[in-house]
Amino acid sequence: MRSCVGCHVYCIPLPRVALHANASSLSWQLKTLHGALISLNQLLSNHKAMSNHAQVPGEPTETTTSLVETATGAIQGFRPIKQIHEHLCAFHFYGYDMTRQVEAHHFCAHQNEEMRQCLIYDTPEADAKLIGLEYMISENLFLTLPDEEKPLWHSHLYEVKSGVLFMPRVPGPIERHGLDKVCKTYGKTIHFWQVDKGDNLPLGLPQLMMALTRDGQLDEELGRDVEKRFGVSFEKERVKRAELTGPTHGIHPLANGGGKGLIPKLREVDCKPADSVPRVFV
Amino acid sequence: MSSSDKFPAPTPAKGAEATPPGQPMSMGQHVVDKGASMLQALTPVKQISQHVCTFALYSHDMYRQIETHHYVSRLNQDFLQCPVYDSDDSNARLIGIEYIISDRFFEALPQEEQKLWHSHAYEIKSGLWVNPRIPEMIGKPELENLAKTYGKFWCTWQVDRGDRLPLGAPALMMSPQGVNLGKIEPELVKKRDDKYSISTEAIMQSRVEIEEPEWINPQADYWKQHAKGFAIDIEKTEMKLRAPIP
Repeated sequence: MRSCVGCHVYCIPLPRVALHANASSLSWQLKTLHGALISLNQLLSNHKAMSNHAQVPGEPTETTTSLVETATGAIQGFRPIKQIHEHLCAFHFYGYDMTRQVEAHHFCAHQNEEMRQCLIYDTPEADAKLIGLEYMISENLFLTLPDEEKPLWHSHLYEVKSGVLFMPRVPGPIERHGLDKVCKTYGKTIHFWQVDKGDNLPLGLPQLMMALTRDGQLDEELGRDVEKRFGVSFEKERVKRAELTGPTHGIHPLANGGGKGLIPKLREVDCKPADSVPRVFV
Repeated sequence: MSSSDKFPAPTPAKGAEATPPGQPMSMGQHVVDKGASMLQALTPVKQISQHVCTFALYSHDMYRQIETHHYVSRLNQDFLQCPVYDSDDSNARLIGIEYIISDRFFEALPQEEQKLWHSHAYEIKSGLWVNPRIPEMIGKPELENLAKTYGKFWCTWQVDRGDRLPLGAPALMMSPQGVNLGKIEPELVKKRDDKYSISTEAIMQSRVEIEEPEWINPQADYWKQHAKGFAIDIEKTEMKLRAPIP
């Protein structure tokens, strides 16, 4: 909780609500504090994920800002966003550090039968942080990639068959029908916000992420926490998914980093031609 | 593997057609999607409240400029997060993500981090940044706030390079600026203006009263002061393990 500068009432920054507007009376302040405490209790007890939910810095959204965005939301069509039709939950780890693992909520749209593009959030809630994205392609498309590109992509076979990748709230038979395709695909995942480090802003370089490929990799506590919060059992799903099959040609040896870690590095490059950029002293 | 690679090796993943390769959606997949979307709340995506059309330039090669479509959601008064697409069509390609923060939080960032960010004042005052189909008077109240923000934009699919699939390392993007390399090609602007029946020039005139920020941090728009851009390389390394791979 943060203290609002204007009226010194503790408030939770909820989307589109300025809890502290025009506060003056004691009874109003008490009511607000009571409401804030209830909200805090809910936050802590219900869907608190294991990954650190560091608060994004900032004031609650002002009413005038909200009004503009209500107007834009009503008038503009959001066609690319309207294509997003499914929510998958899975785990990623950093391309150079398997011990750092992140719960990843994918919101996916199909470009066509063989390609999906997914927005990745750290939770499925309204205040979720957009932490990255993933592209998912069929085996056929994966095989068209240049060899130096293939290591940046990971297989999905283990995640699906082991039950750790699931579609929250979707009944098993529909879920399994959908995941039958996912099982055979490859994904390329980039994260921009290292929430597992407790970053409250998207700092640093883009991180190539990898997916689980065998038993023993998933952090057990993280797994149990997700099972509990979403009411799923990975073991039970594993049994039901025994019939699902992976890529026709097996998992490509160059996928999943080709067995190596992959780490991003930043490099300065000259603007060309350098002479065309006079030094601008502000 | 680097974001500044000129052209990835020739494969079917590169080509002249705009659409990604692949079979059209099957009926079975439509059924799964329909089922999922009826049962799943998709709450984070429902927070998206604005569509912005603007332009961006590759930090490692500022001659490469693209039209971008940001779908903006707001976490609080000081922070916005935006998936970025190459068009506003239903088959638009997801080309990256931009984060936007207010100036007071930008000032608190370490200098090494600030180098990766860009300012928005010029982009907004020049009329390049627009909310398509929204009358200017509706969007205007917020523009003065947005003019003081900084953005960090990573591009993961270099469609202007002809990539039919997202190849390579993510590329850092920069914002349009009023000086030499930061200026957007007039043909690119005209194409956008014709599509939405707007005039960037007229919009610029109408935004004359929007206050310039008093100060733009010189670490942002790094190329302006230093004549340098940034590229990302993805290098092999030893993986820290808790179990064997793969």
